[in-house]
Amino acid sequence: MDSALSWIGTAGMAGDAWLRQTTPDTYARQTLELSHQNLRQISNDLLESPPLGPDSAYLNTVLARSRRRIARLAALITAKDAPDFARELDLLRADQRIVKRLSDKIESEE
Amino acid sequence: MKKALEITLGIVTSVGGFLEIGSVTTAVQAGAAFGYHLLWAILLGTVCLIFLVEMSGRFSAVSRHTIVDATRERFGFPFFAIVLVGVVLVFFMVLVAELGGIGLSLQILTGIGFPWWAIPVSFAVWLLMWKGTFGLIENGASILGLVTISFVVAALKLNPDWGAAGHGLLPGLPGDDKAKYGFIAVSILGASISPHLMYFYSSGAIEDEWDKTYIPINRFIAGFGISFGGVLSMAALVTAALAFQPNGVEVDTFEQSALLMTTAFPKWGFFLFAASMLFTCLGAALETSLAIAYFFAQGFGWSWSEDLTPSKNARFCFTYTIIILLAAIPLLVGIDPIKVTLMSMALTAATLPLAVLPFLFLMNDPIYLGEHRNGWVSNTVVGITILISFVLALIAIPLQIIGG
Repeated sequence: MDSALSWIGTAGMAGDAWLRQTTPDTYARQTLELSHQNLRQISNDLLESPPLGPDSAYLNTVLARSRRRIARLAALITAKDAPDFARELDLLRADQRIVKRLSDKIESEE
Repeated sequence: MKKALEITLGIVTSVGGFLEIGSVTTAVQAGAAFGYHLLWAILLGTVCLIFLVEMSGRFSAVSRHTIVDATRERFGFPFFAIVLVGVVLVFFMVLVAELGGIGLSLQILTGIGFPWWAIPVSFAVWLLMWKGTFGLIENGASILGLVTISFVVAALKLNPDWGAAGHGLLPGLPGDDKAKYGFIAVSILGASISPHLMYFYSSGAIEDEWDKTYIPINRFIAGFGISFGGVLSMAALVTAALAFQPNGVEVDTFEQSALLMTTAFPKWGFFLFAASMLFTCLGAALETSLAIAYFFAQGFGWSWSEDLTPSKNARFCFTYTIIILLAAIPLLVGIDPIKVTLMSMALTAATLPLAVLPFLFLMNDPIYLGEHRNGWVSNTVVGITILISFVLALIAIPLQIIGG
């Protein structure tokens, strides 16, 4: 769960830096793609051995949504669409907060 | 005047040459995962390195021997051969990691994968070795490496909690993830107490024709320069704690490390980090290649000096040529330099007794050092630190491998 949060956080930080136009496009895109890849791996692992509790299915849904958002962010860099990028980044941050809350809850139940 | 210049250059070298991929990666990982809790490991490693570097310079200035040739002379070839195999294998891994660090820096700047940089980077390092002098290698890359002072500015800009940082200077155990904590602590110690610096510094003292009059200068350079280098490393850890922890980021890759200073310096942070890694890894790659070539040449009694032309130094130059070429191969096939870095730092810690214990014997030998041999303080500090590193490595490396 910490890894999932870490990769969503990485995508957020890389996204912020790109929005400020302080990193090369290729670096930002590659880092987002790396985050997407790692998040997919983590999601697969979670599907194989899901955490206990009723929130497990919801967690999978939010992780899948975060992955889609990160993929879209990478595509928006290619399109150089900063306004849409900023909106998508805000939504990713909101997902990160949800994953954090679920992760804390599952951890306390365990 | 000449000595004042040498002191300045020596300090610049120690400061600019302290950080490299190992110390930065381990400090950033530690800060991101455990906040300030591993500052003690950097402090311990730095104190030990100050003693080791001071001892290396004193040994060569007084005995007019390098550590390597004295090891062979004092302990005989069979023992020397064991040290050679162990130490050179670890140095080789460090060289792969440093070349990889340059490749990764270029990768984040250009988007071209690090395997593509393996040959150009290795060629550039080899060319600098072939054409350069000892002074160029010792001072050139280190002066460029002063860009790492930006780590200190970044840490200060993020307003660290000084009380918590002070608490981190005392060893403690975390609530969970003890294996990871132990492995990072071992890697920090391996990255800080890098024995290649010991051999490089000792050879440099001979190259620069030091004698007994250099003992106070040597003490000042080792004490002040390495301390400041340790501060840079701590600053990287503190910056990582303040930049990554609030975002929940645990650093596993170089791409993540590259975001280290983007919070403190929104405009220039990314490029400052890339430049820092590029220059410091270049300096460390040159020093490590040179340390390996020194090790072979001094151990086998060949002619050696970075200031001699290759035609007068054929076997010495052949050694670093082959080593640099071999080090490019793992990068060419895409082996992750960060994984090599972490493993090489932990192995450095595990093999410290092999490199340091014979040296401690030499430092207490009146035949080589007469009245300038070690006192009990140096022996105790270095002996205890090496023991701690070795025991931690024996526990943490298997645990980390088992835990994936």
